[in-house]
Amino acid sequence: MPETGNALEKPRVGLFVTCLVDSIRPNVGFAALALLEAAGCTVEIPLAQTCCGQPAYNSGADDATKPLARAVIETFEPYDYLVAPSGSCAGMIKAHYPELFADDPLWRERAEKLAAKTHELLSFLADLRGFRPRNVLCKATAAYHDSCSGLRELGVKAQPRALLDAVEGLELRPLEGEETCCGFGGTFSVKYSDISAEIVGEKARNVEAAGADLLLGGDLGCLINMAGKLRRDGARTRVFHAAEVLAGMADRAIGEEA
Amino acid sequence: MTAPAQDFHTRVEKALRDPQLKIALERTTGNARRKRAAAVAAWPDFEAARAAACAIKDHAIEHMATYLEMFENNARASGAQVHWARDAGEASRIVIDLCKASGAKVVTRSKSMLGEEIGLPHALAEAGLRRVETDLAEHIIQLAGETPSHIIWPAAHRTREDVAKLFDQYHHEKPEGHDVVSMVASARKELRADFFTAEVGISGANFLVAETGAICTITNEGNAELTTTPPRVHIVTAGIEKIVASTEHALQLTRLLVRSATGADLTQYTTFHCGPKRAGDRDGPEEFHIVLVDHGRTRMLAEMPEMLRCLRCGACLNHCVVYRAIGGHAYGGAYPGPMGSVLTPVFDGLEQSRDLPAACTLNGQCKQVCPVDIPLPTLLRHWRARSFRAGHEPKAVSLAITIWAFFAARPRLYRMAQAAALPALRLFAKGGWISSLPLGSGWTATRDFPKPPRQSFLAAIRKGATR
Amino acid sequence: MSAREKIFAAIRKARPERATPAEIGAQAQACSEAMKRTLPALDQDDLAALFTARASSEKVGASVERVATLADLPPAVARYVASNNLAPDFALQPDPRLKNLAWGELSPGAPLRADSALAVGIALCGVAETGSLVFHSSPEAPTLYDFLPLHHLVALDAKSLVLRLENYAAFAQRLAIPRNVNLVTGASGTTDIEGVLARGAHGPGRLHIVIFD
Repeated sequence: MPETGNALEKPRVGLFVTCLVDSIRPNVGFAALALLEAAGCTVEIPLAQTCCGQPAYNSGADDATKPLARAVIETFEPYDYLVAPSGSCAGMIKAHYPELFADDPLWRERAEKLAAKTHELLSFLADLRGFRPRNVLCKATAAYHDSCSGLRELGVKAQPRALLDAVEGLELRPLEGEETCCGFGGTFSVKYSDISAEIVGEKARNVEAAGADLLLGGDLGCLINMAGKLRRDGARTRVFHAAEVLAGMADRAIGEEA
Repeated sequence: MTAPAQDFHTRVEKALRDPQLKIALERTTGNARRKRAAAVAAWPDFEAARAAACAIKDHAIEHMATYLEMFENNARASGAQVHWARDAGEASRIVIDLCKASGAKVVTRSKSMLGEEIGLPHALAEAGLRRVETDLAEHIIQLAGETPSHIIWPAAHRTREDVAKLFDQYHHEKPEGHDVVSMVASARKELRADFFTAEVGISGANFLVAETGAICTITNEGNAELTTTPPRVHIVTAGIEKIVASTEHALQLTRLLVRSATGADLTQYTTFHCGPKRAGDRDGPEEFHIVLVDHGRTRMLAEMPEMLRCLRCGACLNHCVVYRAIGGHAYGGAYPGPMGSVLTPVFDGLEQSRDLPAACTLNGQCKQVCPVDIPLPTLLRHWRARSFRAGHEPKAVSLAITIWAFFAARPRLYRMAQAAALPALRLFAKGGWISSLPLGSGWTATRDFPKPPRQSFLAAIRKGATR
Repeated sequence: MSAREKIFAAIRKARPERATPAEIGAQAQACSEAMKRTLPALDQDDLAALFTARASSEKVGASVERVATLADLPPAVARYVASNNLAPDFALQPDPRLKNLAWGELSPGAPLRADSALAVGIALCGVAETGSLVFHSSPEAPTLYDFLPLHHLVALDAKSLVLRLENYAAFAQRLAIPRNVNLVTGASGTTDIEGVLARGAHGPGRLHIVIFD
């Protein structure tokens, strides 16, 4: 494995699996675990974790968010890194926890310290671990959707593509509007479901037009939104979290039963 | 701006049912996005330029009192009369009084969003003045009896086919054809005489230049100069945040403003107006009035100063998935899109506009394309927090968030609830999907939801599973 | 308190002025300089060539020709009039440099009207970066000459060209502030119908620039 400047020999990673992966698609959690271990990390999964608090924070409920943020900070402080298979949740911890505690010097400092060692999974693997999957086969064409928080808050763009490029048989196809929001937006998709539906409708048309077998991305929320729309529209595109493909665990796509 | 009678959800529903709207919006905003992207690609250091533009605006905001005073002194020295208005009503009243004092019957207007913000079209009508909108898009919507739906392209919701119908119906001479060029020619002919009939011409200002006392307007059509030069009286209405230090700063900002708006390098007409007609001048207004408007801006200076940077380029609208889905009228304020969702609560009050900051995915593309790097998602979230604290959010929503947060903060309770909910939810599934979700019917009205697993990831891990 | 006093009081409360005029001036200067450092490089060797390329680009949409001296303007106008099937009488901007030219067959005495077909004028200077003509209003340069005619033909002294907008701003600082400064960049246009560019909205539909040395 190529060493990067500040990479630790065998870092202790706390895997923050995210509440959506935990409840809706455990396979992404297992894929993240496998990838981190393959990238030379000691992975621990603190069982006290629930949610980063983003749904409350983005609803303006700052007071309800704080206990959740404090819990995440306390739980993950001991690790060398916090890694999450989501740009959105990693972005919440990295960019917004320090804002949340702007008026609380003690917690702000702790939030900033955690923020500094918090990473989105795919960029962590590519940038900090210099990881590339080996002997992973996936004979398919795929389109990649850049989820907004990962893209704009964390600069996740090249890393997933570089990782997927190392998967044998996988061919990435261009996707029109790949950087355009899919209309998920967390609670937005429930509170303003009609607007959300219109936005994801355009996304689904672009995905179908890309003509790829698979739609991949790095955030489960967006993927569920797009998969649900594609399924309703009768499209055949199979939807996976990129980590599932990279770990060779892309057997059943979102919504496919055993 | 009086808020429309319907609520946000009704307006959204109406917009989403209109297939023509989506086509019109996509044509205009799609063109705008492509042209902006090309212009930005031709400026390798555009990111640094955005930071520099931001610094130029911040500098003017930081020294706002000093520069406004300098502007006022220089403007007065040029013969301009400067008026100050604290709110929309005061600003409109000043304009109407000036019109009345000049004995005006016909007033020409060149597009100004501030005019919409302070309700000027309505005030002019109430005062019995004939208002002639001279910007092509404003002319179109005046014929249609509508308000602007975009700050750069007020008729963005209208297709060329709509415009053809309006011109056929209302123009004294019908357009020669229904192609865009013929229709533009028809509007030119239709409006020509009014430029010379009007006793008063009203414009906005893109910049107030402190060092000279001039106001700057930028247009592509040339209607601003024809609105402000022939009439006897020129009235400028401008927000106080339009202040900049110098002509150089105004031009530097225009470079980014125009690229972000239309993708051009410069507007066709970039004009600095400084006072009335001078000795020997063959044209120009005899009176030159500048109405400087606060209307919430000093409050923003204290609470969200970043928003005062806004150049009104419209890039955030063109790149907003919500704006592109629902169009400008659904927002219900003078300014739509992300910048409008930040501004409307300032002007109309948060309680009745709380939906605007909430109806956003916080995807951040607006900030990314903003030429002065306004943290729009942060400001929108700021309004959400204010609304939540003030109790403006629907009871069901705030209750749901509070209950959910209560469980999420107690991992053991959370696990128990989750362990009960997952199998229960599975009962709604057919195949791998749920097509009707309890408490999520909005979601499943148009898309399916994947069937959840029997047990959560953490439950599986606890039991020693490895995949 | 008047509205003015209340507004200033609110501004000063939020942003009390602590800097001296000299400090503010230095900050403003630093802002300009920072922006200048981001600008794409331009070829400064031949400003007329750069101006011509920009002004005649599809985006700007003017036509440009080059002649030896200002005395060559009348034949250039005659050619333009002939090739566009215009009448030989046109409105001439009352600039002494133009009035004294030998106009021959042409009749430059037509009054400027709302529907003038052609006006001929002369620019104060040009900005190469954007292909813009600059006019400062005066008794010899009324504003409406630039806006009313359908065809606008403008003489531009090559020696008056400046590289960038900032160079124009510096140049203007040395002049008296005119009532109107008009930077004209191409013919009038609009994208108000579906974002599609159409020329000749309210101002001139055609702009022809004659650069002389």
